[in-house]
Amino acid sequence: MTEVLSVLLYGLVQAAILLLVALGFSVTFGLSGIPNFAHGGVYILSGFVCWYLLRQLAWPHLLAAAGGVAVAAVVGVLLYWLVIRPVRRLVLAEVIATFAAGVAMLELFRWMGLVTYDFNLPPVVAGSVTLGEVTVDAHRLAVVAAAAGLGLLLWWFGRATRTGLALRAMAQEEYTALSLGVREDVVATVSVALGSALAAVAAVLVLPLGLISINLGYDAMLVALAVTVVGGTERTAGLVLAALLLGMTTVAASVVLGPHWSEVIYLAAIVAVLAVRPSGILGRLKELEERV
Amino acid sequence: MRAVQLAVDEINARGGVRVGAVRRPLQVVSIDTREHEPGIPIHDALAALEKLLTERRPHAIVVGAFRSEVLLAAMDVVARYRVPYVVTIAMTPAFEARIASDPVKYRYLFRMGLQSEYFAGNLARVLGYIKSRHGVSRIQFVHQDVLWAKATVGFLEVWARQAGWTVVSSDAYPTGATDFSASVLRARTGRTQILVPVFDMPQSGVLLKQVKGAQLPVAVVGFISPAVPATAWQAFEGAVDGMVQFVAEPGPLAVRVLPKSVHFNRAYGQKYGEEARLRLSGHGPGPSYDAVYVVAAAIERAGTLDPDRVAEEIRKTDTEGVIGRIRFNEKHQVVYGGLPSETAISLAFQWRAPGRRVVVFPELAAEDEIRLPAGVGR
Repeated sequence: MTEVLSVLLYGLVQAAILLLVALGFSVTFGLSGIPNFAHGGVYILSGFVCWYLLRQLAWPHLLAAAGGVAVAAVVGVLLYWLVIRPVRRLVLAEVIATFAAGVAMLELFRWMGLVTYDFNLPPVVAGSVTLGEVTVDAHRLAVVAAAAGLGLLLWWFGRATRTGLALRAMAQEEYTALSLGVREDVVATVSVALGSALAAVAAVLVLPLGLISINLGYDAMLVALAVTVVGGTERTAGLVLAALLLGMTTVAASVVLGPHWSEVIYLAAIVAVLAVRPSGILGRLKELEERV
Repeated sequence: MRAVQLAVDEINARGGVRVGAVRRPLQVVSIDTREHEPGIPIHDALAALEKLLTERRPHAIVVGAFRSEVLLAAMDVVARYRVPYVVTIAMTPAFEARIASDPVKYRYLFRMGLQSEYFAGNLARVLGYIKSRHGVSRIQFVHQDVLWAKATVGFLEVWARQAGWTVVSSDAYPTGATDFSASVLRARTGRTQILVPVFDMPQSGVLLKQVKGAQLPVAVVGFISPAVPATAWQAFEGAVDGMVQFVAEPGPLAVRVLPKSVHFNRAYGQKYGEEARLRLSGHGPGPSYDAVYVVAAAIERAGTLDPDRVAEEIRKTDTEGVIGRIRFNEKHQVVYGGLPSETAISLAFQWRAPGRRVVVFPELAAEDEIRLPAGVGR
């Protein structure tokens, strides 16, 4: 019983981590069709910014986290205008340009020597909580709560605010949205900035579980891609379901088979879903396109 | 590299190295192979080595390969360029096997750092002591998926089963991993009492934070490179408390039975500052510092820079260093044991609040006995 409870609890935590890391990438792609493959670079950048404000300038934790999110949003705006806009609507060029920007950021940090154990963030919530016979650090539970809250917030944003509706309109039918006065550059800028800010939120919540390690930037990109492909980009519920599936599966597999299996599962899930259900488990876009 | 530079500066301050009738200063030239980083291919590291050999033409190489996989591949390159080469970090036992296979071809290569079988043997001795003293029987290995760590854990698994331990699991993580929750879960469900980590990557310290966060009733005994420096207590917010940490070779700790380790720490602190001394890592600084002296002494005895004669003199080395007595066996490996007057030694210390490192192994250097956390063993 303890074994099952342990796997379920850690699986839930892992699902929350996956959801947080994927939300930014998925929101940007879902709202404006921009595949922002610099997501992993922004994720680690905001971790370093938060670390710098917290450890070097001694800002309060919450303020340092907010600083990391703000810088990420600004980087998102710059990314759109300097990297994405010149190749806008050339999908392959967008992928290559953003991927190159992300790799450049990560490898710059490596070149700067930001690779030691000093680069760590303290937990947002200290201490541990015992549920049944399983003890888990309180910060992991905070990550679950934050993921749930952020998921709900985004669902509300997309349906109840003018900006959210404009973004969704642009994603669903660009020409109609343009004819109704929605400005493409504004929408795209907001979507990349919002996605980058969400990457930063994930960073300040997830990175305290480990280190600010440059390789986590590449991992974040893989995770974001896996959750988005499996869940589809149209509905937040799809992302939640994908995160739960992948989170539970990876934790169970790493306990039963060994830690190496988690990355295999992410990659296998991408291949399997693309082959069987290209729109994702709750997505219908591809099916509709094929029907039309 | 700082340990190497310290030794070079000390030698130059005394007039340099006597080559025949002439005294010549030592000069350090270096190249970063980046092989300690995840995902760096071996051929990139070899290309860097060859660039150093062809462009800077060093008379000897110290420190050498970081990763065992690179060391094995580099042996043929070094043999081709005929340069005395004293490696101080890479730990694979395959190095000695390779030298035994062709002693003439590989006559330029030596190792001053600890070899993983010595490390595993020392770890086994300490684990055996803990088992008999505290009545524990359930052990779990967590290690980096690299050659030396796999060799160490492979040896320990066989030993543990023969010694009556129940091996809960043996978990391998790729270089760069930061999530060890699978092992935390396995430790809980498998009722692990002794957790043995074997890692040389900066990210591995996170394991200690995750074990502490889950409040696992386990004792941690092993090697986590970022948990060696005196600054680790603060960096990991006390999560290192109680860990029995092996130090591959003396260097980051001044040990009274090793006078040169006391000198090394004092000189290092004076040259680079106390903060830098406190951050010395647990694998490399001591033998790297000693390697410069070994090479310099060999050149002086040879009276020439001819690589064959220098290598022959390195082979005959018998001197006292930071790591203890330095002598090479027939496979060009410095002999490690428990008596610093006879061999080089490796150490283990236990982290105790409020951030003290108390030496607990070997017996001759121990300041106290190992204490297990409450609830573990008798």
